[in-house]
Amino acid sequence: MNEQKRLLMIDDDPDFVAGIKAILEGANYKVDVAYNPKDGFEALQTNPPDLLLLDIMMGRGAEGVMLARKLRKDPKLREIPVLIITGIREQIAFLFPGEPVHPRFVPVDELVEKPVEPQFLLDRVSALLEAAEERKVQSD
Amino acid sequence: MRAQGLGVSYKILIIDDEEVVLDSCAAILEGSDYQMATASDGKHGLKLVQEFQPDLVFVDLKMPGMPGLEVIDRIHTVDPSIVTVVITGFATVSSAVDAMKRGAYDFLPKPFTPDEFRLITRRGLEKRKLVLETAALRKEKEMLRENFAAIVSHELKAPLGAVQQNLFVLEAELSGNLTEDQKRRLERMKSRITDLVKLIHTWLRAISVDIETIKEKFEPMSVASVISKAADSIQPHATRKDIEIVTSLEDPLSPIFGDEGTLAEVLINLGNNAIKYSYAGSQVLIKANEANDHVLISITDTGVGISKEDLPFIFDDFYRGKTSQTGERGYGLGLALSQRIVEIHNGSISAESELGKGSTFVIRLPIYSRDHHPQPPLQAEVIPSP
Repeated sequence: MNEQKRLLMIDDDPDFVAGIKAILEGANYKVDVAYNPKDGFEALQTNPPDLLLLDIMMGRGAEGVMLARKLRKDPKLREIPVLIITGIREQIAFLFPGEPVHPRFVPVDELVEKPVEPQFLLDRVSALLEAAEERKVQSD
Repeated sequence: MRAQGLGVSYKILIIDDEEVVLDSCAAILEGSDYQMATASDGKHGLKLVQEFQPDLVFVDLKMPGMPGLEVIDRIHTVDPSIVTVVITGFATVSSAVDAMKRGAYDFLPKPFTPDEFRLITRRGLEKRKLVLETAALRKEKEMLRENFAAIVSHELKAPLGAVQQNLFVLEAELSGNLTEDQKRRLERMKSRITDLVKLIHTWLRAISVDIETIKEKFEPMSVASVISKAADSIQPHATRKDIEIVTSLEDPLSPIFGDEGTLAEVLINLGNNAIKYSYAGSQVLIKANEANDHVLISITDTGVGISKEDLPFIFDDFYRGKTSQTGERGYGLGLALSQRIVEIHNGSISAESELGKGSTFVIRLPIYSRDHHPQPPLQAEVIPSP
């Protein structure tokens, strides 16, 4: 009954991706991966996932942020819950001058720090998916 | 401020009321690779400082209108990197000295020979070049410092994060299949990486944080509270090493004026050091009392101690004792950073130690008093107009 949820992870560190992917696949999620923001955005458009796991510091600086901003402007993609995974919490304030430490790019996002405890990650992912599900039911 | 690139000719401005001086200066520099402008009084000259943007300005001290000294002051207000030289007609040393006290770089006594003028011009321009280079270097250093923090943070932490992430997964995937010994080793790997991440944070703080900015957060605060926070934080380390932390505080203690977060960091650092260099089963004593308008916090261990040769240098950046006996390693920044933090609080930190007997670190911090510490500014008194 409960169909398998499909997640997309955009992160340029293959080892980190492997660590996260193993946790999520162990919990019966299907995980697609893009290793750069460009491929990531294409994957988002061609086959929107149920949830996006997004790294902030990719490529030259905070390209993850650009992608999150692009996402917010897209009427269709903005509904996708986004879980930001970052190693640089203390620099967030620097990246987003004037914004609080926990910036909300899209209304449904959540930010966790690298590395992330497996159970904590699974809790956040399922909470975001449930919240998205509820919103969908309400708007239907 | 401009950078003086190669091939760009220097600009010289001469402010003097005597036409003959202006003309002869122009004649002397004729044919050399300088751009020149002249003004016959201070007001005119200051206008040219803005428009012409000179590198070097000669100012006559005795002119009708605005006095030369004032002209020099104003030039330095516009751009402190402009080099000024005074021309002094009444070749008294005292007027030249006055001008140099106010920021002039050199003086040119009237009358002068073409060689004297050329020499002083060249010296002045060399000074200008140095000033500009220093400013550029300082800016570059500042940028490096800021960027270094960002780059190091990402480049060092990302691989560690990836390793740690995979350790988490392995631990979860292998749970139930590992022997106690294997579990313990996995636990150690995780804890070593966690330590490394903490170390990177400490280094970053030492390098990137402008420590002066913590002054903005100063407020009256309780010594007992910061000690209790620090003691809580180092308790796990002490438990692991089978060391007892004993606190003994005078009651009551006067408040001090400072930033609790960074002071806690100092105490945690000293406490962790004490634990690190202590033998299992021993005690680390944290004491606080008042004396001579200061609160004294001391942290005493009965551990390995510090040798006489090392003791004078322990607060230096990156200094590490040569005579480590327990196999414990430090990175030589904790004490340096601690000292900086304590000094920002107008306090001092000192250490006594004997090899084999243990160490005592003492922090002295001034007691908070309304008279000596800044209060919110009072509203300016309104003076009724006559």
